[in-house]
Amino acid sequence: MSGAKSTTLVGNIDAAQRTASAVGPALSVIVPLYNEQESVRPLYEAIVQALTGLGLSFEMVFVDDGSKDDTVAVAAGLARRDPRLRIVKFRRNYGQTAAMAAGIEHAQGEVLVTMDGDLQNDPADIPLLLAQIEAGFDVVVGWRHNRQDKLITRKIPSRIANWLIGKVTRVPIRDNGCSLKAFRASLIKRIPLYSEMHRFIPAMASIAGPRVAQIRVRHHARRFGESKYGLSRIYKVLLDLMVIKTIASFASRPLRWFALLSLPLFALACFAFVQTAVDVLLGGEQAFSLPIAGAGIIFFSSGLILLCSGALAELIYARGDVRDREFLKLTQTILAGPRNPEADRAL
Amino acid sequence: MKPHAVPPSISVIVPVGARRAADIGALYREYRTGIAATGAAHEFIFVLDGPRPEARRALEALLREGEEFTIVNLTRNFGEAAALTAGFERASGGTIVTLPAYPQIEPGDIRKLLAGLSTADMTIGYRWPRYGNALDRMRRSAFHGLVNFVTGARLRDLGCGVRAMHRKVLEEIDLYGDQHRFLPILAMRLGFRVNEVPVRQSAQDRHGRIYRPREYMHHLLDLFSIFFLMRFTKKPLRFFGMLGAATFGVGAVLIAYLGLDRLLFSEPLADRPALLLAALLLVLGMQVFALGLLGELIIFTHARGLKDYRVEEIIQYPEAAAVSDSGSDSLPGESTTSPEMRASAPPAVIA
Repeated sequence: MSGAKSTTLVGNIDAAQRTASAVGPALSVIVPLYNEQESVRPLYEAIVQALTGLGLSFEMVFVDDGSKDDTVAVAAGLARRDPRLRIVKFRRNYGQTAAMAAGIEHAQGEVLVTMDGDLQNDPADIPLLLAQIEAGFDVVVGWRHNRQDKLITRKIPSRIANWLIGKVTRVPIRDNGCSLKAFRASLIKRIPLYSEMHRFIPAMASIAGPRVAQIRVRHHARRFGESKYGLSRIYKVLLDLMVIKTIASFASRPLRWFALLSLPLFALACFAFVQTAVDVLLGGEQAFSLPIAGAGIIFFSSGLILLCSGALAELIYARGDVRDREFLKLTQTILAGPRNPEADRAL
Repeated sequence: MKPHAVPPSISVIVPVGARRAADIGALYREYRTGIAATGAAHEFIFVLDGPRPEARRALEALLREGEEFTIVNLTRNFGEAAALTAGFERASGGTIVTLPAYPQIEPGDIRKLLAGLSTADMTIGYRWPRYGNALDRMRRSAFHGLVNFVTGARLRDLGCGVRAMHRKVLEEIDLYGDQHRFLPILAMRLGFRVNEVPVRQSAQDRHGRIYRPREYMHHLLDLFSIFFLMRFTKKPLRFFGMLGAATFGVGAVLIAYLGLDRLLFSEPLADRPALLLAALLLVLGMQVFALGLLGELIIFTHARGLKDYRVEEIIQYPEAAAVSDSGSDSLPGESTTSPEMRASAPPAVIA
C-alpha cells in the first residue's frame, strides 16, 4: 500500500495480465451491485488500494443485479482502464443470492472474497481473511463486531437469527449476514447456491464439512443510498432454515428425517388407540369415544403417508445428481496410507 | 426443402392444430403477402400437430404449385407449445414470427410487429379495436385481470397467436404443455422486453367463440402452474410451507380451544366431533409441509442444472492496460462481449 501508487498499479497490471493468460489470478473479489452508482468508484479504489502491494495477482468481479441507475456505466468506465475488472451484467434484477452465485461462477481466482457493494464492508480487511485461508481454513467469515446499523430493526433480529441458525445447522457463526467472506474457490464453486441462500452460504458450505474461521472485520455506516433489507424476513428465514436443515443433515438419508417428523403422529395415534382399547375393555362395545378413535386413525394414516414421502425422498436423492461423495472430496485430507492417484485427482 | 438463395432473416412458424382456417392455402397467401411487405427474406414452417389430412393435402397442393415452405408433421397432437418448439428447431431466421392457423389479424399489420422489434425483444399482437359482445369483453378482462394480478405483467391479449421475437428469446425458453399462451410472460420473466402492438382484428375473427367450462378450467389451471413456476420454482417450501403452516395453525388453535375447554370447564373431549376436524387440519398441514420439503429436495438434488439468473453481457477490456487514462470517453456500448457470455446463457431453461 506504500510507495508511488501509479507505478505499483501499472506493474501489477502487467503481472496480472501475465498470470491471467496462463492460469487464473490468486484472488477474486466478488461484489454484487444493485443501484450503487455513487459507491462503485470509491469501492473500486478501496479494493485496488487494499490489494496493491500484497504481491499477488487479483481480479474484481462486479455483478450488476439489474440496476436501474448508472451503476453499469460507471463500472464500465472503470473497466475500460483496468483489465482486472470484470462486470457481469444481469438482464434484470435476480436478487443477491443469484448475484453471488454468478460472481462465484465467473471468478477465476483460487481464493474468492465476497463483499457488499454499499461500502459498509472495508476492503482493507481482505488481507486478514486471506491470512486465515493461508493458515488452512476453507471458509473465512467476517464478523461485524461494532455493527453500524439500527439496533431494533437490524441488529436484534439478526442476533436471534444467527443464534437460531447456529443451533439448527450446528455451524455456530456469529454473523451470517456479513457479506465479507473468503472461500477456497474449489470448495465454493461446488456448493449449490440458489433461492435466497446468501444468508446461509457458510451453512450451505457446511455440507462439505469445511474448516471455518471467523474474524472481526470493520463495519461502516451507509454512506450512500438506502438500505435494501427490511425486517419482514423472519418467516422466510425460518422456512429457509428448515430447508438448510433438510439439506445439510438429511439430504442423503431423507427417510430418517421424515420418520422423525412422523414420530409425534404415531405417538398420538398410539395414545388414541390405547385409550380406545381401554374403554372397550372396561365398558364394552359401546363405551369407546368415536372422535378419539377417529383422531387416532387420522394420525396413524398421516404418519404412514409421511413415511411414504420419506421413501419418495430416498428415490429423489438416489436419482439426483448432487451427492455427498463429491462434497467430502472437497475437504478430505489423507492422513496415512498409500497414495491413490485415481482418488486424489481433483473433481 | 430447396436451399434459399438468401438465408432467411424471418422464420414464420404456423402451428396447425384442431382449430384452423377452412382454406389454409388462402391464409398462407395472405400471410405471405403480409410478410413480403417487409421486404425481408423469409421462410414458412407449418407444423401439423397430429394427423391433419385436410390441411396436409391443401399444403401439398401449394407445394406442387411451386410455393416454398417446410411442413413438419407430428404423429399425434402434442399441443401448440410443442408444435412451436418443433417448428423453431427447423427455423433458421434471426427473427421468429408465430402466426395462428386461423385468421386473427389483418396480415398487413404483421410488419408493425416486426418494426416493434427494434425496441423490444418480443412483440405480441393486441387486437384492437376488438369485436364481441359485452359478455366476451367481461370474460377477457376478467382473465387478463387475473393473469396480470398474478404475474405482475400488463398484457391485454394473450389469446393472440401473432408474435414476433428475436431468436434468442425462444432459444432460452423451454416451452411445454399449454404454455404457449403465456410465452410473453415467460419471456418477461427471463428479463426480455415484451411490447404489445395494436393490430387490426381480421374480419373473419369476428364471430364470437363459445368457450366450454372445461376450457375455463384449463385456463385457470395453466395460470396456477405459471404462477407456481414463476414464484416458487426455486423455493417450493415458501409455497407449501405457507399453506401447511396456515392449516396446521388453524388445527392447533382448535385443539388448544378444545383442550382449554376440557381443563377449565370439564367439557368432555371424547364426544366432540370438533376433535376430528382439529386432528385432520393438523395432519393436513404437516403433509403439505412435507410436500414442500420433498420439493426442496428435488431442487437441491438437481441444483447443478439450475441457474437462477440470466447474464446479459460480460464487460471486460483485456487490453485496457494499453489504453492510457487520457483516452476519450467512449460509450460503454463498445464493450467486448466475450464468448463466455453465450456459454453462460444455455438454451435449456428451468422455467
